[in-house]
Amino acid sequence: MTTAIETHNLTKRFAGRTAVDNVDLVVPGGVAFGFLGPNGAGKTTLIRTLLGLTEPSSGEVHLLGLPQPTKRAEALAKVGAIVEEPRFHPHLTGWENLKVAAAARTREADGRIDGAIARVGLSNRAGDRVKTYSLGMRQRLGIARALLSDPALLILDEPMNGLDPAGILEMRHLIRSFVDEGRTVFLSSHLLDEVEKTADHVAIVDQGRIVVQGPVAEIAAGSEPTLLLEVDDASVARRALSTITDVRSVADDGAALRVVFTGGFNAAAVNRVLVGAGVAVSRLEPARVSLEERFLDITSRLGDNR
Amino acid sequence: MRLISAEILKLRRRRGLMIWTGLMTVGSVVIAYSVLLALHLAAPHNHGPAGGLNNLQHMMWLLANLGGVAAILLGTTAGAQDVSAGVFRDLVVTGRSRKTLFRVRFPGALAVYLPMLATGFVLAVAGAYAFAGSSVAPTLHDVVHYGIAIGSLAVVTLALGVGLGTIIPPRIATGVLVGWGAILAPLLIGISNLGGARKGIDVAAAMHFAPDLGKGGTIAMSAGTAVIVLAIWTVIALRVGEFWTRRVDA
Repeated sequence: MTTAIETHNLTKRFAGRTAVDNVDLVVPGGVAFGFLGPNGAGKTTLIRTLLGLTEPSSGEVHLLGLPQPTKRAEALAKVGAIVEEPRFHPHLTGWENLKVAAAARTREADGRIDGAIARVGLSNRAGDRVKTYSLGMRQRLGIARALLSDPALLILDEPMNGLDPAGILEMRHLIRSFVDEGRTVFLSSHLLDEVEKTADHVAIVDQGRIVVQGPVAEIAAGSEPTLLLEVDDASVARRALSTITDVRSVADDGAALRVVFTGGFNAAAVNRVLVGAGVAVSRLEPARVSLEERFLDITSRLGDNR
Repeated sequence: MRLISAEILKLRRRRGLMIWTGLMTVGSVVIAYSVLLALHLAAPHNHGPAGGLNNLQHMMWLLANLGGVAAILLGTTAGAQDVSAGVFRDLVVTGRSRKTLFRVRFPGALAVYLPMLATGFVLAVAGAYAFAGSSVAPTLHDVVHYGIAIGSLAVVTLALGVGLGTIIPPRIATGVLVGWGAILAPLLIGISNLGGARKGIDVAAAMHFAPDLGKGGTIAMSAGTAVIVLAIWTVIALRVGEFWTRRVDA
């Protein structure tokens, strides 16, 4: 599958401020790609630049392998997007709003309206005016509008914003179902936990720059390997652990010993050493680093260097 | 064509706007004839027949002014509604050019407005003949001239509404255009020192086709000049709106 989004040295400057700074982004096709960053990091500006809503100051953009803005119409015909909060004509019904959006697409889009509404579970409210919709319903209607082009690429800006837990779960399932159909979903968010649960690949952006990008598992595993231990005698355990050459540090966080290794570790071998030293081990568990911890780790290190 | 249909849908579903437009075009004529008829039936010696050329002129004045306000309301709404609803960016990301997205607004507004204006006009003309009684009935020449004047003024006003509504908030655009049509333009037409420059005023050009509707007097000009002036106003209003639409971030 071709690369869904590719940018080279993409930069967007506003008066005296660089919102997107030399971004090289590669979004593989057929995945859910999370674009993570704190508020004001430049996520929405990058999305607006990708979609031609604002012109880049410099750099290149390719959508679905097509150079932008040269092949803009051709690329956007296969892209569905929600930029910022999904907005609609409040005096029109949900169905009529999609009718208006479909008019800007090919004629086939008209035939997709009912299916798109059903897909997001709004069939029973499609005849109501949008001004009576909750935020969650508008988010879903926004997804339905994005589906009118039968998109190969969906670009969703903060799709979980304002949703309750059930709505977030529903949105996650919806996004995964799009990926299962072979579509690429590019979603920006500041909700790290949600992105970790939804996305296959991520890019972390801060102050307009991509700090790191790649598969979620690789990025989360990027920090030092750590074991959490619960033992009956911490001082004996410390002495025993000091005989293992790969152990870099041992810290007692109150509940457990936190053992950091310089390279990888062999949990069974560690257990053998402890038991051999007469230590009773009641817990031995690789510390799971969440994307959130990794994100905070990366952005705080960046903060130190600012 | 589908985009124009979408524009029509967006405007037609605005209940308040449609009620006001209907009232100011069709409703104003119906109400005016009802009052004239009632007065005539109640006191025929004091109040002449409700129809005739003289009353047709009054109806045309109503259509030119109230109908003009309706055209402004409709035009500014058509020019502004996508952006003010925040939907414009969602239309831009379909890949449609901004030029196309702007260019459908005027025909969409025209398709909504003209049938209402035409209904009001037809009722006014029909009433002028039907209720003429002993008074002088309008000639075909009168009807054609009124039709051209009202129609051309509607087209220009609608174009100004769409153009200006694209650039500034619709309420401000409405105020500016009502102020222009009701106060500033008649004032300028009345300043004789401006001489031939007054031919360039849209209201003056439209009133060339129906001089008796002119406020602040009429300016002598050929039909060709009037048509060119009206066309220039229309084109400039739409070009400015288009330029703005292409230039701003969505």
